[in-house]
Amino acid sequence: MKKQILRALTQTVAAISMASLAFALPGDGNLVIKAGKVITVSGETIENGTIVIEGGRITAIGKDVEYPWTASVKEFPNSVAFPGFVEAITNRGMDRANENVEVAPFLNVRDSIDPVNFYYEDALRAGITTINVQQGADCVVGGMGYVVKPKGLTVEAMTVKPNSGVAMSASPKRGKSRATQTQALREAFGDLRQYLEGLVQEKKDGVDYATREALYQGREPDEETAKGRPMGGNAWKVDGLQMVPRWEIDEKKAPLLKIVEGKTAVYFHCSTPQDVRMAIDVATANGFLHRIVLVLGSSCWKAADLIAERGVPVILSSALTHIERDPVTGEEIETFVPGVFQDKGVRFALRSTGAASQSLWYQAALCVGHGMSRKDAIAAVTTTPAEMLGLGKRIGHLSKGADGNVVIFSGDPLSVTSLTEYVVIEGNEAYDRATDTRVRHLETGEQPENTAPASASDLEAHDCGDDEIEEEKKKVDEGENEEEKKGDDHDHDDEKEN
Amino acid sequence: MLSTLLLTVAAAAPPPVHGRDLVAVQAGTIHVVEEGRVIEGGGTVLIRDGKIVGVGQDVDIPDDARVVDYGPTAVIIPGLVAADSGFGGRSPSGRTADPGLAAIDQVDTYGTYASTLAGGVTTAYVSPARRRLIAGHGAVVKLGGTAGKGRVLDDASAIHGSISADARSTPGYWEPPVPATVDVGLGVERPQLPRTTMGAMIALRELLALAADPKASEEYGPATGADLSAMIKAGKRWRMRAETENEIRALLEFFDENNLPLVLTGAGRGGKLAEAIAKSGTPVIVPAAVLPNAKPRDLGKSEEAVWPDQKLASTLSAAGVKVVVVPPLDYPISDLRFYADLARRGGMTPETALAAITLDAATVLGVEKRVGSLSAGKDADLVVLNGSPLAPTSSVLATWIDGDIAWKAHESESVVLEVDHLYVGNGETLSPGQILMENGRIVEVGRRVAHPIGCTVVRGTGAMPGMIDTLGHLGLEGSSKVPATRFKYSRMLETGDFADRRVAQAGVTTVLMTPRGIGGSGTPALAYKPASEDLERMVVADPAVMHMQWSNSNRLKSGLQVKSILQKATEYKKKWEDYEEAIAKWVPPPPEPPEEEKEDDDEEDEEESENGEDKDEEKSKKKKKKKKKDDDPPIPVTGVWLAESASVGEDGECVRLRMQLLDTDGTLEGYLRCDAVSETLVAVEGKRDEHSVDLTGFGSMGDVAVSAKTEKGKLLGQVVVGDVEVCFQAEQTSKEYVVAKRGERRKEKRPEKAKAPKGKPKVPGINADLEPFRAALQGEKAVVVRVERQDEILDCVDAFESFGIQPILFGANDAWKVSDKIVGRVRGVLLNHRVIYSDSKMGTRKRNRYAELANAGIPVAFHSSAEEGAAELPLVAAYAVSQGMSPAGAVHALTQGAAEMMEIDGRVGSLKPGLDADVLLLDGDPLDLGTSILRVWVDGREVRLH
Repeated sequence: MKKQILRALTQTVAAISMASLAFALPGDGNLVIKAGKVITVSGETIENGTIVIEGGRITAIGKDVEYPWTASVKEFPNSVAFPGFVEAITNRGMDRANENVEVAPFLNVRDSIDPVNFYYEDALRAGITTINVQQGADCVVGGMGYVVKPKGLTVEAMTVKPNSGVAMSASPKRGKSRATQTQALREAFGDLRQYLEGLVQEKKDGVDYATREALYQGREPDEETAKGRPMGGNAWKVDGLQMVPRWEIDEKKAPLLKIVEGKTAVYFHCSTPQDVRMAIDVATANGFLHRIVLVLGSSCWKAADLIAERGVPVILSSALTHIERDPVTGEEIETFVPGVFQDKGVRFALRSTGAASQSLWYQAALCVGHGMSRKDAIAAVTTTPAEMLGLGKRIGHLSKGADGNVVIFSGDPLSVTSLTEYVVIEGNEAYDRATDTRVRHLETGEQPENTAPASASDLEAHDCGDDEIEEEKKKVDEGENEEEKKGDDHDHDDEKEN
Repeated sequence: MLSTLLLTVAAAAPPPVHGRDLVAVQAGTIHVVEEGRVIEGGGTVLIRDGKIVGVGQDVDIPDDARVVDYGPTAVIIPGLVAADSGFGGRSPSGRTADPGLAAIDQVDTYGTYASTLAGGVTTAYVSPARRRLIAGHGAVVKLGGTAGKGRVLDDASAIHGSISADARSTPGYWEPPVPATVDVGLGVERPQLPRTTMGAMIALRELLALAADPKASEEYGPATGADLSAMIKAGKRWRMRAETENEIRALLEFFDENNLPLVLTGAGRGGKLAEAIAKSGTPVIVPAAVLPNAKPRDLGKSEEAVWPDQKLASTLSAAGVKVVVVPPLDYPISDLRFYADLARRGGMTPETALAAITLDAATVLGVEKRVGSLSAGKDADLVVLNGSPLAPTSSVLATWIDGDIAWKAHESESVVLEVDHLYVGNGETLSPGQILMENGRIVEVGRRVAHPIGCTVVRGTGAMPGMIDTLGHLGLEGSSKVPATRFKYSRMLETGDFADRRVAQAGVTTVLMTPRGIGGSGTPALAYKPASEDLERMVVADPAVMHMQWSNSNRLKSGLQVKSILQKATEYKKKWEDYEEAIAKWVPPPPEPPEEEKEDDDEEDEEESENGEDKDEEKSKKKKKKKKKDDDPPIPVTGVWLAESASVGEDGECVRLRMQLLDTDGTLEGYLRCDAVSETLVAVEGKRDEHSVDLTGFGSMGDVAVSAKTEKGKLLGQVVVGDVEVCFQAEQTSKEYVVAKRGERRKEKRPEKAKAPKGKPKVPGINADLEPFRAALQGEKAVVVRVERQDEILDCVDAFESFGIQPILFGANDAWKVSDKIVGRVRGVLLNHRVIYSDSKMGTRKRNRYAELANAGIPVAFHSSAEEGAAELPLVAAYAVSQGMSPAGAVHALTQGAAEMMEIDGRVGSLKPGLDADVLLLDGDPLDLGTSILRVWVDGREVRLH
């Protein structure tokens, strides 16, 4: 009898432990993190705080938070927990940043993202947990972008937000003048209008080329596109568009229509203040001003008044100071760009350079060095870009309901001497410095298994791609001497394409 | 950090509030341009909120207006309008006609066009592209003012095209069908019109037809018809380029036929069609037929070769065509004034030429309501020049856009004086005359001189060199000390104070500062410029002249001292002459191996004897060093020797022993400290010989004897006091003898001079007291000698003559009596202040001593013998003139005559290139009592009292 009871008890315990085992399984998005300091960004900083992540979301955060005793707990008593940086825009992590076609909103970076690109690994080392991948600036209307996390073996696994917006450029594409670039931009929408009017006319005339064309191209209607609906947006309208079922609209034109209807975010590249004016003109004329984010060159601070007046958010160039010569005196004038935008009340996000050495933490630290408040500087690399991406509730801060993205730094996130120790994305371990083979290789010189040989001659024999060369650079960048790291400023292949 | 940052931002960003205030800009001349109006004799442009509200001579300037006065010589013209520029696009559309291509998209309205503004150009036309029948539509923008859209005057100014040769190579167009299938081929490239003028006209006709019924055209592109139609409806001008006669004719006919507004550009060979163009009322934009700032082109040697017609603008203008001048294609527009001036070739008036780059240009561009002239209601865009608008010598001082300064010339050091009469100083007058001052010196003098860009131009009636007070005390500050002959007054100079500047403003810019009194061995006088701001440039010569006293109260002794000095000086001079002669003859022997000892003497001789007292001292010191070097193999003992554990007697008790020694050629002196030997510091002295050191002294315990040896860098030996014997082994802790060292000044190490070879003639030492007289004997410096009486004057002149010197007589009351005897034998006479001499014997007849001496051919000069009283010097001269002295002679005596007399004419005294820019601006003839000195420059800088 006693034995029976004991057995029953054991079974119960086993059952309970089986049940809670599910909580503790790795890769299920359940984790409890304890850290000496938790920088929540959205709220107060918590000393000796606990973050409970269940199902990839933060369910509780605070000083004394209860969590199941079976939960898997990671403790970092001497480290700092941080929500992770948000890269507002990048064109890295793809095989190529730009397409040849001028107006190509039908492209999608989904087809181009390379999950094993070293860029993502590097992003983790820099504490970046969310990345908006967009086509480069060498276009008129570029393809659709994706917001991803830097962890996952497939694009689907990486995806945070698909179809995050298209890239456009007001700066001349290669081989174009400023005037022809602007003309091409305007014409893209002029063509769309002409095309839509033509479609409507055809419907009125009872001709059905469009249906035939759509079938010919292999498109099929679905529930949403089977019917026509009146044109949305607030700039110009094509009357009678409801006569045209949406699936019949050429798939090369349809994304532009979505832009005009204000359904797609637009990342507008501007390298000069003149481009800013152009971009705002085009966006206003076609009714999507409220959806644009300007991706600026460093001289664009000169158009800050115009930007502030229109209330457009911006992503600043990685060069935070703009240096030019006074044409009259020949003296150098140095302008701290984020300071200008802050003074004008423009929402701005920072971005990394191509080189791993000047990542977001560095950019934010530089802002603090120039006198910006720490809070504003951190916001420019966390909450502000997250809001621009439409992920403000989920990303960029540690609070209940937010994504379980936590980066553990060995010290202050903006400090030169801090290292990324551990990264959790949606409750799962994404990076652990202790098992970072590349770092180990660097620190101990050991050659990890299944890694490329280090010597240059071996590399040559490998017929290496650009990525491998990049990796070589990164190894240099990852030097132990962090100070030295700062001095490096490698021009990156991708950066050039930008 | 943050504040610096904000400052930077503020400095770089355009002013946020723009021309909100009232500004009155004033200048001597204002070219309104409208109806050729010119306001002369001072005028005002009144600006409110960036717009002109009034222009004229008698504009009421409200109290709250900010007044900017550029002075009477400045000239205001409207901001220049460049009817073409290189700011446009370089990449034309693929289509032969693409009216939708907007130039405004091309131009950077945030850019800084400083170099263009520096040329006075404030508005420019921007072409969309070139090399197409219809390249697009042009825009007109301002090149300054609030950045962004505010700078756009017209974003669609004209339909821009060309039927000329440049537009005849449009590539074929090709549009692939999308999607291309097996059935639908990719197609081929289709050629486009035009290749010829007739092709161009056909294409234009087709385009007009397309515009009349806008629809997508395969040949001309989808939007061309609609774009063109919109622009024709808006009445936009067609700005077409045509060069040859048939092109021009074809265009004139076509546009007349279709009743469309045409503006011709180029028209290079349109001279013969001037009448026809005038009749059609078509304005012509003429690019200048010159490529400046570049290698000249070869234009073709054959008879058919067409060379550019540089009179084209004038020809067309004369026929009644509205002509607008622009730079050569894609050349910088900053030189617009130059091109307009060139357009005058062939007879165009300056007024028309100015209009061709202002109002007419604005009219042709359709922006005449905003810019182009200075009339109320227009934008306050103006250019301030330092001379007449098109003169090549005038340059831009400032450029205003929308009532704000958009560009300002650098503060230029260059000053040009343009006067009706330039009194050069040597008696010559240039009428008119100009003078260019730069970097403190006179660079050019002539009827027309160079006008460096941005130079300050000052106009006036007369100008003359600054005057010279040949004997004054300004700067002595009341001191009556008579300094030594060798004294350098320049050491006590300070840059000009208020009194100095006042004297300069009265016209006296150079003063020979002379002490009040003359010493027996001669007294120096310094020539300097009291009002100069530069300490180095202040000194003209130091000493400039030597003053001597001939007369003695004991008449028998008169002149003795002078003679004796001159005698000494002659001997001194002889020494140098001998040396120079010897050194000229001397042939250096072949190089010998160096010999140390010789060096000393030779080197010594080369030393200047200025620091005579130091000489011996230094000599001995040098020898010391030498000797020590010779003894070097045994270590030098000078310095501090320390033995931490010297053993006393046989017990071996340890004590500390410290010795400081100074070795002077084997003689030692110094101090010994050792408790076992003496309770006090023992002064020791003795000798050293090679390695052995022997010292004696007297301590608290009696006589002290030290005998020691240097060995391997140590000093071994014993000290004996009575029965006490201390053995020590001392180490050298310092090589300096610190305690006994006097606070001597360390001489800089002279660089080792090359050793003079044997037999080289010795250089005689320099005697600072006699040096000026040597110069005087050589005729390089003047000597002023104070002498009064007739007989003494003659004695004095005789005596000086025997030494080969022409003295300047000072005082010289009776000089006029012996003028015939001293003429040609004296350098000049400085009379005392009584210009007019009269005595009862002569009744009412008066003698003007200055005039008489001057007439006799004896140079005279004026002097003040006062400090700030120098300011009255011009009046002294003016009085002399009123009493019969030649005005030219008086001016000469105040300027170049005085400078020559004092041997300072290499720096001051006349207006010659290379001399100091000490210039007076007058409003009349110099020394005319009605003339005042308006402005004064010393070292090229204007002297201002405050």
